[in-house]
Amino acid sequence: MAHQRPAFTAASPPLLHHPVPQHPIPHHTMRSPPPLSQTSSGSAYAASPYQQQPGVPMHNQGHGIHPAYGGFLADPAAQIGLQMGASAMRNSREYVKQNMNRYVNYTALKHYFNVSNSYVLNKLRLVIFPWRHRPWTRIPKAVVPGQTDGMFLPPRDDLNSPDMYIPVMAFVTYILLYTMLAGIRGHFHPELLGKLASTAFAIVVLEILGLKFGCYLLNINNESQLLDLVAYSGYKFVGIIATILIQELSSNGWLRFLGFFYFFSSNAFFLLRSLKYVLLPETSTDNPRGTVQAVARAQRNRRTQFLFIYSYVVQFVFMWILTTG
Amino acid sequence: MAMLFWFGNLFYVAVLLVNAVAVLSEDRFLARIGWAGQQDQGFGGGDVSIKAKLINLISAIRTLMRIPLIMVNVVIIVYELLLG
Repeated sequence: MAHQRPAFTAASPPLLHHPVPQHPIPHHTMRSPPPLSQTSSGSAYAASPYQQQPGVPMHNQGHGIHPAYGGFLADPAAQIGLQMGASAMRNSREYVKQNMNRYVNYTALKHYFNVSNSYVLNKLRLVIFPWRHRPWTRIPKAVVPGQTDGMFLPPRDDLNSPDMYIPVMAFVTYILLYTMLAGIRGHFHPELLGKLASTAFAIVVLEILGLKFGCYLLNINNESQLLDLVAYSGYKFVGIIATILIQELSSNGWLRFLGFFYFFSSNAFFLLRSLKYVLLPETSTDNPRGTVQAVARAQRNRRTQFLFIYSYVVQFVFMWILTTG
Repeated sequence: MAMLFWFGNLFYVAVLLVNAVAVLSEDRFLARIGWAGQQDQGFGGGDVSIKAKLINLISAIRTLMRIPLIMVNVVIIVYELLLG
């Protein structure tokens, strides 16, 4: 803008020159300084319009650079923008954290991974050989000695408590082992990893959905049992891994079937015993007042049948699918 | 066999099953076999039977899932037409 004005005055002298030769010079000096004094201190040589023309871009640049860099952060608009960006980042992070906490209960998950070496070994032994194990009830956590708040001891302290460590590890091991065996046979394809993971995950999800549907139909409401069910449905991968290994190592058809059958039945027995406290609560939760005994017994019978079907029939189908691939 | 339980297939099966429940006609079919949703549910359903639960579930699906199902079906149809 500063160089527009002098350029205009530079063009005007020929017009003014014509009528009166004396006037242009005072007129020129009077008109040109005001804009020039605003733009820069070097008005001495800028007074002449012809010299100013090449000098203007340099002036403008020199003048423009300083506000561009120095004033970028000092600019109030930029400050607002920065603050808004920072607060938006913070808000979104908090939002994610809150929602993660809402959908995935971290403290509850941590409880399931609180395991020790001896627990893992004993639990693996229990899943593979559950026949001689005696007390299957979980130990309630005592807040004050003698009082409980409905929570149970973590897996570290209680062998009967479900954990997530063994199911997750068995899940991953199953996928890797299956792909490794396929690779030994020469059928490895990277797609196989995703396909197996998807299949196994879908089976677990299907199982959980079926269980939840059964719980809805049978009117079983037990708090915080979803993660327990996920954990219990993952224990079958231990048996599946063992079955796959047996089937790989032996070519005898009878031995292969026997291996599958043994691990299936041990897993089913383990589930039957462990899920008893989830699906068949000892205390009649439904309504204590005025419950007809016969109705309660019929309900209990139905629940027992459901538990049996789940842990034997459903597990058989899923384990068969997963072992044969 | 592994292709059978592809994760997308599970979703398709679920959507098809919900569709199957949603198309059941209240007057022509459900009322005839006595499975129409009762309006006088009342409170204190302590000893609700499996049948009552199923009826309740069907009527809930029919009222609640109708509009979401339309959208999900449209999305699936467009996806299948374009990429299937």
